Amino acid sequence: MESMIHDMAERLFRNHVSHRLREDAAAGQCPEALWTLIEEAGLTMAMVPEEAGGFGVPAAEALGLVRISGAHGLPLPLAETLIANAVLASAGLAPPGGRLTIAEGAALRLERRGAAIHIRGPLTLVPFARWADRIVTVAALDGTDHVLSLPVKDLALAPGHDLAGMPRDDAEVDLALTEADARPLPRSIGGMRELGALIRSLAMAGAMETIVKMSVEYANDRVQFGRPIGKFQAIQHYLATMAGETAASRTAAEMAADSYDTPAFALTVAAAKSRSGEAAEKVGALAHQVHGAIGYTQEHALHHFTKRIWSWRDEFGTELDWTTELGRAALSSPRDTFWHFITDSTAQGTPA
Amino acid sequence: MTLTAFPPPPPGADYNELRQEVRAFLAEELADFPPEKRAKSWNGFSRDFSRKLAQRGWVGMTFPKEYGGHARSALERYVVSEELLAAGAPVISHWIADRQSGPLILAKGTEDQKRRIVPRIAAGELCFCIGMSEPDSGSDLAATRTIATEVEGGFRINGTKVWTTYAHVADYMILFCRTGKSDDRHGGMSQFLIDLKATPNIRISPIIDMGGEHHFNQVIFDDTFLPSDALLGEQGEGWSQVMSELAFERSGPERFLSSFALIEELIRLLRKEATEAQQAEIGRLSAHLMVLRQMSRSVAGMLNEGKNPALQAAIVKDLGALYEQDIPRLARSLVSRPAVPGGRDSYAAVLAYTELAVPSFSLRGGTREILRGIIARGLGLR
Ligand SMILES: Cc1cc2nc3c(=O)[nH]c(=O)nc-3n(C[C@H](O)[C@H](O)[C@H](O)COP(=O)(O)OP(=O)(O)OC[C@H]3O[C@@H](n4cnc5c(N)ncnc54)[C@H](O)[C@@H]3O)c2cc1C
Repeated sequence: MESMIHDMAERLFRNHVSHRLREDAAAGQCPEALWTLIEEAGLTMAMVPEEAGGFGVPAAEALGLVRISGAHGLPLPLAETLIANAVLASAGLAPPGGRLTIAEGAALRLERRGAAIHIRGPLTLVPFARWADRIVTVAALDGTDHVLSLPVKDLALAPGHDLAGMPRDDAEVDLALTEADARPLPRSIGGMRELGALIRSLAMAGAMETIVKMSVEYANDRVQFGRPIGKFQAIQHYLATMAGETAASRTAAEMAADSYDTPAFALTVAAAKSRSGEAAEKVGALAHQVHGAIGYTQEHALHHFTKRIWSWRDEFGTELDWTTELGRAALSSPRDTFWHFITDSTAQGTPA
Repeated sequence: MTLTAFPPPPPGADYNELRQEVRAFLAEELADFPPEKRAKSWNGFSRDFSRKLAQRGWVGMTFPKEYGGHARSALERYVVSEELLAAGAPVISHWIADRQSGPLILAKGTEDQKRRIVPRIAAGELCFCIGMSEPDSGSDLAATRTIATEVEGGFRINGTKVWTTYAHVADYMILFCRTGKSDDRHGGMSQFLIDLKATPNIRISPIIDMGGEHHFNQVIFDDTFLPSDALLGEQGEGWSQVMSELAFERSGPERFLSSFALIEELIRLLRKEATEAQQAEIGRLSAHLMVLRQMSRSVAGMLNEGKNPALQAAIVKDLGALYEQDIPRLARSLVSRPAVPGGRDSYAAVLAYTELAVPSFSLRGGTREILRGIIARGLGLR
């Protein structure tokens, strides 16, 4: 897909996301200057409709930004902000600007007290929470899903991080919101769990493409026994396997992105997250095998990518969660045959 | 084009109306077709079935109308193909001709060859076989020894082909052989269109597979005379012609739907009751299948646009074979019922058949190792 916004992001990240920047971020330093550039380029508002002040880029294309940010190991919540803004806009809430993040809100308890909505409960492993201005989440009130925009400054955070050193913080919520920050989700664009799984699948695909590229370059450059190790068939077959798994992951993630906002979304996301997670395990392991000891060091860039894919596979539902869900749907499908379930699950063009 | 990018099939590629028509046709035609027979998948042979399918316009779908085809897209053909495979319909009688021989003749054949042969393929009347492999030339196709020597009015062929699927019933073979010497390892090769029913001095003998089935054969050419107009395409261009056939041969849904009867049997048993662990395994299987199907549809879309997605096709075939070969293991891990060849219990019979079929999936159509070599080179290894 030719896309101006993809080209722009690609250029921006190529020029600014260095090994050093990823190292500093993992050490706790938020790359503020880069964030300003990202916001100025309009990337965070790509999925917001023009009427709501965004750029109205079609979802599949806008979500391509997530794959690209994954390919660069971007240590910032661009994917989260992109989704948070889209969800806010869909509920008629104005995108507030700044860094946003998303969280599953299933553990929150909501209660009306006069005009205010009181919210209590925990949010766990929230990506980049301490670098974010707001956490956007979805939770049930009076039986309907509500979008909540929670100011981080009013929450109690317990900092933590993922394998790649990126902030993953627990938050204790105990506050009251007005209608300005809590609105019903008008139609099911998927809960935060689905949306989170979607962006992690896309980011994994992007990161794996980078891992494959790094591995091919390394195999061409590294000489042992008088020739590049890429001449050895065992290494070639590892690389081919990595490419196959990566292709499957990207296809899976893009299939889910293509069905954003359609009834096929829930099942395609389940397939995408579980397939990408499985690929992440193989691709990571083989990449380290190809790279030898140098790839096992802090100094080499490989670990920033392998750690990211291994973290992302666990977030917003593990493979076990998603395969169980998908399998349950398959086995309880009212369709005559499993085959009919499969063709229906990915059917395009079904009205939202 | 990035090797790991599989563009989505164009919008509307579901062709739901066509799909429902095919389903209705199959429900009627295969009403009494038992799971053990469905398990044979595209190895099942029935001229009658192929002819009926053709009457519905579902053979030679992508061929131009002037050659008896239906000028439909590769994606419409894809819908019909996958529905046939998922139902376990006996399709081999027309499958090879429809998939690769017909398109090859249309692309490289003379006007006379096209007019004589292609309409009969589209009518479901002709069964084709592929004469590539030899005793000493398997993966290394360029080592082919069968030779065509030019003589008055044509060629004389000598040599032996093996593993030739359905040669014993086929009407035509497309033969790959040597026609001259060349410094280039891939030079001096050509393809011929051989009328197996009308050509003397061809000896076809069965080879029985380890499951006891007869589908492939040995084919011996003993000074076999072929008229000049049997040459298919350019003399000496056989190698590149064969290579362009492979994207058609490798990427189709037969590369991940040939064990489907076992999956349906397995799901049938688990539907009544399944633990979470069993659900998760079925979920994993579903995810793989949904993704493979999307990749294969993507390749069909690329073929439709006239691109040559040979590398993507190799990826689909490699992943498809891995997936399918794992299905008997998966079934055994979820249901404790021994495989019984020809057993009365259809699950047991289908499991037995499939266990013996799967070793061939990473051999036929290019071995796993060869495919991985192709993919690795496509990645830019120097
Ligand atoms: C069911 C079935 C149907 C078939 N139908 C047809 C048909 O209709 N027409 C036809 O022409 N052929 C047919 N074949 C033949 C098929 O194309 C060959 O089996 C295949 O090309 C492999 O050749 P081979 O069996 O001689 O194995 P070999 O080439 O001898 O390979 C044996 C092993 O060595 C490996 N190997 C070989 N070379 C290399 C290398 N360079 N690097 C690494 N490993 C290598 C292979 O991957 C394999 O694991 C069929 C095969 C089967 C099983």
